[in-house]
Amino acid sequence: MSNAQIEIQLIASLVAIACAIPGTFLVLRKMAMISDAISHSILPGIVVGFFITQDLNSPLLILLAALTGVITVVLVEYIQKTGLVKEDTAIGLVFPVLFSIGVLMIAKKANDVHLDIDAVLVGELALAPFDRLIISGVDVGPKSLWIIGGILLVTIGLLIAFFKELKLSTFDKGLAASLGFSPAIIHYGLMSVSSVTTVGAFDAVGAILVVALMIAPAATAYLLTTDLKKMLLLSIVFGVFSAISGYWFAHWLDASIAGSITTMLGVLFLMVYLFAPSKGIIAVMYREKQQRTEVSLLTFLLHLKNHDEEAERHVNHLNEHINWQKVRSKTVLDLALKNNMIVINNAIVSLTSKGNEFTTQAIDYIITNEDAQIEDMKDDFFLFRG
Amino acid sequence: MTKIAVQVDDLTVAYNYKPVLWDIDLEIPEGVLMAIVGPNGAGKSTLIKSILGILKPIAGSVTIYGKSYEKQRSLVAYVPQKGSVDWDFPTTALDVVMMGTYGSLGWIKRPRQKEKKAALEALEKVGMLPFKNRQISQLSGGQQQRIFLARALVQDASIYFMDEPFQGVDATTEIAIINILKELRKAGKTVIVVHHDLQTVPEYFDWVTFLNVKKIATGPVKDIFNDDNLTKTYGINYKVSIQE
Ligand SMILES: Nc1ncnc2c1ncn2[C@@H]1O[C@H](COP(=O)(O)OP(=O)(O)O)[C@@H](O)[C@H]1O
Ligand SMILES: [Mg+2]
Repeated sequence: MSNAQIEIQLIASLVAIACAIPGTFLVLRKMAMISDAISHSILPGIVVGFFITQDLNSPLLILLAALTGVITVVLVEYIQKTGLVKEDTAIGLVFPVLFSIGVLMIAKKANDVHLDIDAVLVGELALAPFDRLIISGVDVGPKSLWIIGGILLVTIGLLIAFFKELKLSTFDKGLAASLGFSPAIIHYGLMSVSSVTTVGAFDAVGAILVVALMIAPAATAYLLTTDLKKMLLLSIVFGVFSAISGYWFAHWLDASIAGSITTMLGVLFLMVYLFAPSKGIIAVMYREKQQRTEVSLLTFLLHLKNHDEEAERHVNHLNEHINWQKVRSKTVLDLALKNNMIVINNAIVSLTSKGNEFTTQAIDYIITNEDAQIEDMKDDFFLFRG
Repeated sequence: MTKIAVQVDDLTVAYNYKPVLWDIDLEIPEGVLMAIVGPNGAGKSTLIKSILGILKPIAGSVTIYGKSYEKQRSLVAYVPQKGSVDWDFPTTALDVVMMGTYGSLGWIKRPRQKEKKAALEALEKVGMLPFKNRQISQLSGGQQQRIFLARALVQDASIYFMDEPFQGVDATTEIAIINILKELRKAGKTVIVVHHDLQTVPEYFDWVTFLNVKKIATGPVKDIFNDDNLTKTYGINYKVSIQE
């Protein structure tokens, strides 16, 4: 690997981490769309900042543009508060206007500004290593690396300091407010970090990849874990994995790096969406099928329990009886046999004592909804899980 | 004379400039177990949120033991309406109960062993200790409500505000919760509960406030829980049979 290659992957990975952290909270707050709004509406901020500083990498420009991001959020909330339109409509109203203002400003000053809209939206990671930071004659690396590294450090610092506050106000705004943790401060803090990250990253990776890196890894991690810290960690891992694998995918195809990383993010999400152990589509389908079978099993056992007469417990009679649902009687019978809940003698089915006890407990649970007594049944039967 | 735990003066609260609570005056004496009753949309949740500084009123004031809420936060615990949070949030029962300790910790400081121990004790009290590591979406409605109650208990407050703690819970949980509330009152705490089931008001509570945009009445259940006030609050001709 050449130096430039390593630097590109390093920049992409740092951007991925810097995006995954605020992204996790945006996803949990159901605010994914707001990152899209921020990423577009910072354009006028960038242009104005560029007029003032004449330097796309100046910290002042980053702050000015990030301010536009926060203003976007304020405007969206203001419009929403009027109660005339919903949040998504408010977002759709605000950011195209701000974005167009940015586009017009660039068009008017096209001659003296080295900014073009393509670069803002898509970015060009491949070029990032060529813009070096030189300090008193010494080349210390690409500017983007320093910018995003700095932003990432601040983000991690804030995350560690305010993890508890972020968690509380994301889960329960009301309690946060009553305990004195102003949800507004935390909200605008998160919005500021998201805006600064977006601006700091856009030059290297473009606005679209920033949005993808904020939302996709967090959404993927959400399907896999029930622990906020693990969700943060997984988001970071997925982001970095997509960044590096996307880079090599682009290298192999000779295609856009940002495009390849976004593709990787999509593929990763799709895989998890399909195969995640408990929230994935396949797991959900399997669980529903199992539940149907178990309901049939229970009806079947209950029937046995309620009928002493042998005619009612003859295999042929039961065969007709169980088929009122979309479950095959053989499946139910096998499940009952496998669990030693029934015995079959001369085509007459009888409950075993285990089967009898199970049926009593299960019916009891369904009637009283008392959870504690069936804790051990939950492991074997989906029926009794949430 | 008993002390006044919560005093509300001329409180008017609006959403988007449309008032939903008009000119509320309310005195809640220390040590009562009080129900707030009123139809849906009467402003019961809004009243609690305004007392707790979650909503800013457009007029009026609230004091807790004579001082502003901001100064008395540590005396107050709050159980929001269950539907106000996302139960799919990636966290466990124990972690949610720990949130009750955040107030006394303040900004930045993290919960440690002491806070964890308090949370475990509260879980024990509401009978949810076996479920401490369960993800909250995997709990039944009644269990979720018990978790919320445990989170309030861990705050170890003097005044408890609970927004519909019996919503969507089974009979066993309802009895368990009311017993804990009665214990709190015995310990001298003031407990304020938004309540829906009018039949159980005389059995569960000793104080009641009727609310429907305006305050209709407030006082001891035995004096003011009658058909007249119910009709004024609910609009229709209300009859409850109060069993002694
Ligand atoms: N965030 C809000 N924005 C606008 N209106 C609201 C909001 N919350 C509540 N309301 C309105 O305020 C009134 C009182 O609501 P609430 O206090 O929740 O009633 P209750 O708890 O008694 O059912 C209702 O008409 C409700 O529609
Ligand atoms: Mg309410």
